[in-house]
Amino acid sequence: MRIPPTTRSDPSLKSTWSHRAWVASGCTTVLIALANSIMGAAESHIWLEPILAGLVGYVLADLGSGVYHWGIDNYGSAETPVIGPQIEAFQGHHKWPWTITRRQFANNLHALARTVTFFVLPIDLACHDSILLGFVGVCSGCIMFSQQFHAWAHGTKSKLPPIVVALQDAGILVSRPQHAAHHRQPYNNNYCIVSGVWNEFLDTQNVFGALEMILFFKLGVRPRSWDEPNSDWTEETETSSQVALP
Amino acid sequence: MASVSLPKLTLHFLLPTHSPKTPFCLNNSILHKLPESQFRGLKLSRSSSTSIPSSSSVKTSIFAKVTQGTVPPAFTLKDQDGKNVSLSKFKGKPVVVYFYPADETPGCTKQACAFRDSYEKFKKAGAEVVGISGDDSSSHKAFAKKYKLPFTLLSDESNKVRKDWGVPSDLFGTLPGRQTYVLDKNGKVQLIYNNQFQPEKHIDETLKLLQSL
Repeated sequence: MRIPPTTRSDPSLKSTWSHRAWVASGCTTVLIALANSIMGAAESHIWLEPILAGLVGYVLADLGSGVYHWGIDNYGSAETPVIGPQIEAFQGHHKWPWTITRRQFANNLHALARTVTFFVLPIDLACHDSILLGFVGVCSGCIMFSQQFHAWAHGTKSKLPPIVVALQDAGILVSRPQHAAHHRQPYNNNYCIVSGVWNEFLDTQNVFGALEMILFFKLGVRPRSWDEPNSDWTEETETSSQVALP
Repeated sequence: MASVSLPKLTLHFLLPTHSPKTPFCLNNSILHKLPESQFRGLKLSRSSSTSIPSSSSVKTSIFAKVTQGTVPPAFTLKDQDGKNVSLSKFKGKPVVVYFYPADETPGCTKQACAFRDSYEKFKKAGAEVVGISGDDSSSHKAFAKKYKLPFTLLSDESNKVRKDWGVPSDLFGTLPGRQTYVLDKNGKVQLIYNNQFQPEKHIDETLKLLQSL
């Protein structure tokens, strides 16, 4: 049985040196990719393509965040190999959504930073193409920081830095109302958490609904969002709730 | 076996849509209210078709088994109480036969509840409603009980009737199709409506026709 992290001093919300090391390594690999992309662009005087590639990376990172989020929200369990802890964390997040705003920075990002390190380091070592590195740098950077964007989407407007609020309102970062909809019944929409630009399309076209039906008929697995909300999904309220308000 | 359709696949990326929950690449609405067609064996649709026959059905026959104006093959299937029910039981009154993918899935639940909520209108039109899927009787019984469905659910466990009637699959054969037939009191098909991802529309379209019969 999961015990909620209820107090600000709860150790499970604090950053450890291991968390900080992974965030440092993730950031380093992203910065190397970006730096090499910029240097390559400067040498060749070709800027448009690397910039466009970066833009594509930003857009696709949002889609990737949605697909991954949909997958771990709906399938698997704490016992699933490799990603079991993440699945459990996301289930805990649905139950206690406000705790993400109390996680320290490296604690929140370290799992994504670790994945980014493993994927981007080999690319940094093997690749020297400024366009590809522009794409990889921006895409992986957005994915790594998506948990921070996610935490900000759970924040209260008055407590967020004005620049963050401005970026949310501009649609550059996922907005608080859009993400709040994900935490309401039927818990099957607004899965993307970088900019949220894909959410409307994916939801109105019922893309995840179609994928869920295919997986159901081909593999016999039911997604969690199909069943009546049970205690795993239903948010527990606390006395000073941090649930995002528009 | 299944009909050969003339698919027109359109990618609706980032286009505004007036209807929610339309699938990302297929416009899933086919209305068949054609007079008996000389193009026997082809399903001609007014709008984009989603009817992509599964590979096995293409091998056997290109002729549609059930089209508008024809009398569909008879069947006897078990209902949610395990009793045998034949299509012939409904002769003498209009009947709505709707094929759906599976009990307890979101679209099928929406569709069943929509039929339930409009059931009085169907009764007023003198029609009966029958749902058919591949689930067994016990699944139908639980489904009907949970959502208080007042109509018959039939168990087509081997999907034989689905194949005999030529109900097309969706998404390249991965999903059983969602297709509804309205039979008049003589047992002739007057409407075939197909829409996988907008299940409530089946009720609107069938009621519209029944009220004109």
